[in-house]
Amino acid sequence: MDDGAIQLVDLKKRFGAQEVLRGVNLEIPRGKITVVIGRSGTGKSVLLKILMGLLRPDSGNILLGGQDMTKLGDSALLKMRNRFGMVFQNAALFDSMTIYENIAFPLREHERLKEKELKARVDAALASVGLLEHGHKDPHQLSGGMRKRAAVARALVRKPEFLLYDEPTTGLDPIMTAHVDELIRGTQDSTPGLTSLVISHDMQATLHIADKIAMLFEGQVIFEGTPDDVRTTDNPVVRQFVEGRLEGPIKV
Amino acid sequence: MSGERPLNVVESLGAAVLGVVNDFGSYTKFTAWALWGILRPPYRLRLLIKQMYFVGNQSLSIVLITGAFTGMVFAVQSDFAFGKFGARGLIGSTVVLALTRELGPVLTSLMVNGRVGSAMAAELGTMRVTEQIDALESMAIDPIQYLAAPRIGATILMMPILCAAFDGVGALGVSWVATHVLQVNPGPFFDRMAWFVDPDDIWGGMLKSALFGFIVASVGCWRGYHAKGGAEGVGQATTKAVVAAGVAILVVDYFVTVIMAPLSVNRI
Repeated sequence: MDDGAIQLVDLKKRFGAQEVLRGVNLEIPRGKITVVIGRSGTGKSVLLKILMGLLRPDSGNILLGGQDMTKLGDSALLKMRNRFGMVFQNAALFDSMTIYENIAFPLREHERLKEKELKARVDAALASVGLLEHGHKDPHQLSGGMRKRAAVARALVRKPEFLLYDEPTTGLDPIMTAHVDELIRGTQDSTPGLTSLVISHDMQATLHIADKIAMLFEGQVIFEGTPDDVRTTDNPVVRQFVEGRLEGPIKV
Repeated sequence: MSGERPLNVVESLGAAVLGVVNDFGSYTKFTAWALWGILRPPYRLRLLIKQMYFVGNQSLSIVLITGAFTGMVFAVQSDFAFGKFGARGLIGSTVVLALTRELGPVLTSLMVNGRVGSAMAAELGTMRVTEQIDALESMAIDPIQYLAAPRIGATILMMPILCAAFDGVGALGVSWVATHVLQVNPGPFFDRMAWFVDPDDIWGGMLKSALFGFIVASVGCWRGYHAKGGAEGVGQATTKAVVAAGVAILVVDYFVTVIMAPLSVNRI
């Protein structure tokens, strides 16, 4: 096992009678983009929230550098979160703040910086996603794609080791989807040591950006491989999902 | 629980009781954590001041109008009662006592509940359903301390000030109506007012209003924080917050008044 990897071991989570995760095993390698695919409602977002420590699993382990994240107390978990950045599905920018203040926010909260240093860090983050001239605007004044870019800048500004994306291209038009794909790939390539995890059901985007793909089906990971493996596999579930067919093991 | 057949009376009663117990537990836990959040660092003074401004700014005009007209109408109503046995000189003292001890804190907090409690529930509810609260958590920030603590603290601090403003304009309202409209002799009117009304009445009312402020903000934040679903969920959270806090103010008022009553009996 690669020391830097995140290892998910037999993660289980249920909500009432509904068993969402039924023993998820997955290795998320360092310095790469891993994409978890699966139909809507298969527990992808739950997996992400568990990884982030926003939800606790019922059983199973999340191993990171020899530590089991599921065993951490609240304050240790809070510290652990500093190593993660998350890009939410709908950006989740704070609408009471400008774009600049949104990105400055995590820095203000966690790092004692002089206003000049702070501005340099925020401007650099804004520039890296091409929003330098839009810092003074409110989130609602930006387009969906720009908001997403701002969310990436906010997640990156504290230089996290892990960047998690929750369905980054859902609800965007094809051009904007390509743009966000570029953003994810570009961010990965320009940030040394970054590990990205993307949750998606957008097959085109996935094949385009992923280093590793894992498919979640009925609460378990049923396939892991590279984009080429996905293209050539004869796993019927993966085939049906990739080709978007109605007939097959996945029932609508 | 069975999904197939309709719930019978016992089951639905049980479900209702469970719901209330659950809510109470969740509210207590939330509020305790928020209060602890006020006491421990990081202290976010800027947020507290912003919220104090918001609470005061949202409510002052409406509290002043309510206070003035409450005083004025009570002057007219008590003139009707006291006029029957020729004790119109007592109008001022009676109304001002009622204002400072009871109407000030209760009506002020009910008005603030409508303006501020609902706004807090709606704001936090919107933040919840748009994942902004999750975003806070993902940045290693305690969302209850960040969002609820300054709101609760600010409302506790501002409510007594608003209550005092209510008392003040209420007293002006009753004085003006009594001496100018009802032609009560100002001499005995103000004399009795000064004689009967103690600073303790005013302080006691303000203290109660601080408690009601705590109820308004904590219930509003708690409901908003736990909002579910989209716009509809936010709407429901807001309505529930206003109703629950309004009822709680009246119920708690009774018990607090009963507890505080012996303190003021001795002095007469």
